[in-house]
Amino acid sequence: MKTKSKVFKEEPNLPSLVPPWLAALLSAIVPGLGQALARAVQRGLVIFFSFVSIVGLLIWRFRLAAPRDEGFFNIFKKALYLEPIFYFITALVILLYIWIIIDAYQIAKRAGGPKRSKPIMVFVFLLLVFFIIGWQIGQIDLYAFFSQVDDALPAISRVLWPWERAITYPEEMWMGLATLETPCDGNPPPPTEPLEDRPYLVVDPTCGIPSTQDEAEDGSVIVVPGTKLQVEGYNFAPNQEVELWWRDPATSQFRHREAGEITRVIPDDDGYFEVDITWPYRLIPDSYLDETVNWELQGRQVTNVGDWEFSEELKLAIEKMIETIFIGMMATFFGIILSVPFSFLAAKNLMRGNPFTLGIYYLVRTVLNIIRSIEPLIWAIIAIIIVGLGPFAGILALVLHSIAALGKLYSEAIESIDPGPIEAVQATGANWFQTVMYGVVPQIIPPFVSFTIYRWDINIRMSTVIGLVGGGGIGYLLTQWIRMLDYSAAGIAVWFIAITVAILDYLSAAIRERFV
Amino acid sequence: MLEVRNLTKIYEDGTLAVDNVSFTVPDGEFLVVIGLSGSGKSTLLRCINRLIDPTEGEIIWNGVDLAKLEGDELRMARRKIGMVFQHFNLVDRSTVLVNILTGRLGYTKTWPSLLHRFSKADRDKAWGTLKRLGIEDQAHKLARELSGGQQQRVGIARALMQDPELMLADEPVASLDPVLAHSILQHLEDLNQEDELTIICSLHYLDLVQRYSTSVIGLKDGKLVYQGSKEDIRNMTDEEFKTIYGEEAVRISDTSLEGSLGEVVEA
Ligand SMILES: Nc1ncnc2c1ncn2[C@@H]1O[C@H](COP(=O)(O)OP(=O)(O)O)[C@@H](O)[C@H]1O
Ligand SMILES: [Mg+2]
Repeated sequence: MKTKSKVFKEEPNLPSLVPPWLAALLSAIVPGLGQALARAVQRGLVIFFSFVSIVGLLIWRFRLAAPRDEGFFNIFKKALYLEPIFYFITALVILLYIWIIIDAYQIAKRAGGPKRSKPIMVFVFLLLVFFIIGWQIGQIDLYAFFSQVDDALPAISRVLWPWERAITYPEEMWMGLATLETPCDGNPPPPTEPLEDRPYLVVDPTCGIPSTQDEAEDGSVIVVPGTKLQVEGYNFAPNQEVELWWRDPATSQFRHREAGEITRVIPDDDGYFEVDITWPYRLIPDSYLDETVNWELQGRQVTNVGDWEFSEELKLAIEKMIETIFIGMMATFFGIILSVPFSFLAAKNLMRGNPFTLGIYYLVRTVLNIIRSIEPLIWAIIAIIIVGLGPFAGILALVLHSIAALGKLYSEAIESIDPGPIEAVQATGANWFQTVMYGVVPQIIPPFVSFTIYRWDINIRMSTVIGLVGGGGIGYLLTQWIRMLDYSAAGIAVWFIAITVAILDYLSAAIRERFV
Repeated sequence: MLEVRNLTKIYEDGTLAVDNVSFTVPDGEFLVVIGLSGSGKSTLLRCINRLIDPTEGEIIWNGVDLAKLEGDELRMARRKIGMVFQHFNLVDRSTVLVNILTGRLGYTKTWPSLLHRFSKADRDKAWGTLKRLGIEDQAHKLARELSGGQQQRVGIARALMQDPELMLADEPVASLDPVLAHSILQHLEDLNQEDELTIICSLHYLDLVQRYSTSVIGLKDGKLVYQGSKEDIRNMTDEEFKTIYGEEAVRISDTSLEGSLGEVVEA
């Protein structure tokens, strides 16, 4: 008999130890036992362990879904209620259970016969169950993805096109004023004198009474509107928003609101606007109520004066990008210097001479492999514990990782040196230094340069990531901006990272092409 | 004159590669070393310029025992012995010119050479040598960009730069096709006849041996099993050749390109 799968290599042609119905019954009690007794031992084992782990995973997930419930049935009900995917999983597991029983029956019946059912279906079924459980564990939620992606679009679009944030204009506040009097004492202030070049407001009338609050019969508060005022603004900057503010007699300043809305007006091309407003209510100390007092109406306009300039965010991003490039550079620099000696110790062709050096070779190799297998991000966290936040921690982490990575690559370059040319140079009567310079160096320089540039490239990419945990550079800035929800600024950082990495990619490819 | 006496080489792993070999090479000779692969030809040649340290024996050259030389003395001796290799042994990633100038390292002070500074005379000599071997067009190419035949010419040029008095050639044509083999060996023959350069060359094919050698030694399992003059080798039959070579013996004209090559061999 031929079986395709090694796992299910079964002893052929031996009759089952139990009759089919008993095999089915046993598998109903202990899944897989029936198969095992029907002389399909491996199949039984796979079924048993798969089923046990599936049930174990399910118990865990159910408890996690309904942590506050007690009792098997309650937990089951609550979990199904909270996460309907459990219906699906439960149904599959029940199907699986039934299938195992049927399978035990059939295996026992066919045992000793020439033909066995193929186990592919088992695998497909088990995979499906594990896949669904994985879906639940991973909290995969496509609905959330598609329904929430819309809400995230404004933020994403700011990240994608952040350049409005890259420039700013120096700003200045322009203010046009008018003075009003309350209550009218028969001698209202004159309309505002027109000014040259500076904005001003003209209000009509120039005296009146503010809105007041009163208590209605049912106890609710009602506002009694004050004098209607017609406001005209002159000499404002054209087409730029003006906000109306008040300064009350107690000299506190507040925005004007008409029916709850902040009043904003846009002057026309001549810098003129006209708007009707109601004198607002303001709680004012009694002492101001006895006499005639002045209120001041302000038209405030923030205008850009002068030319655009680069924003602080842009400057900061550039500074930090440069810092990042240098973190990567310093890390590469120290990485090269320190990895060269290690690379010689990790080159088998140099070290296999005697058992002692071979021991060093294995030791160095092992240490380099361990260091290399731990992510720089984790080294950064360790470095931060030692030297604190900042670029130095980032450099330390990257240096360590670079030593390991370059040490391995360099040592492989050394291992692949062709002894022929060295022999030939020696044969000309060259001394040791000359032999190294003419026989060895030309062979290892190209791979060294290539690996070094590759590493520099990686280090700069990595230093952006390492910044995320506090290792300095633009990554640090990026996390800060993201936490402050300043997506435009974050977008600038992302763009800089992308541009730098792209340039570097191009450069390193170009340089490597020359050398290799 | 080169006199090899009782030369023995046992490698660290115990392999007896050359076993008590003695022979003499008068100046101006084109000595061909024949023998099966593994018979010790390479080891013998490398013992002469001490790329390999012999275990026992003497190598007397111009009255000096090369086997006893150390340090600067050894290098001074080495620079008078050119060597050409089966796999050319060029520095692939250096230019042809640099590869050839490498031949002058034995005559150059350490510091200038580390900075790749060679004297005007050396550079002129390099161009002269390139011209002589017909590869001046390739001077600025990387060695690896050249064809096999061109690479071996660079190898010869490198050896010539040493102003050698003795040339060792370890199967210089084994990696080349038959036509190129002849052109390379003709260069060596030319050096032997015009410059009266002593040449010790290991070869594989009987017809090449017959065509170029002035005397022959044969090795088998590290032992010297044959010594013959030009006349002896001309008269050697394939059968005799096979006693040295075993059944592997072939003429280069057997291997390929019969018709056209036969003429070259005959010529
Ligand atoms: N570095 C070495 N270490 C140990 N044995 C070697 C070494 N080089 C060659 N040999 C052995 O020495 C013998 C002669 O080799 P070699 O001189 O290369 O022969 P040939 O050049 O005639 O093919 C062979 O048996 C070979 O395996
Ligand atoms: Mg050999």
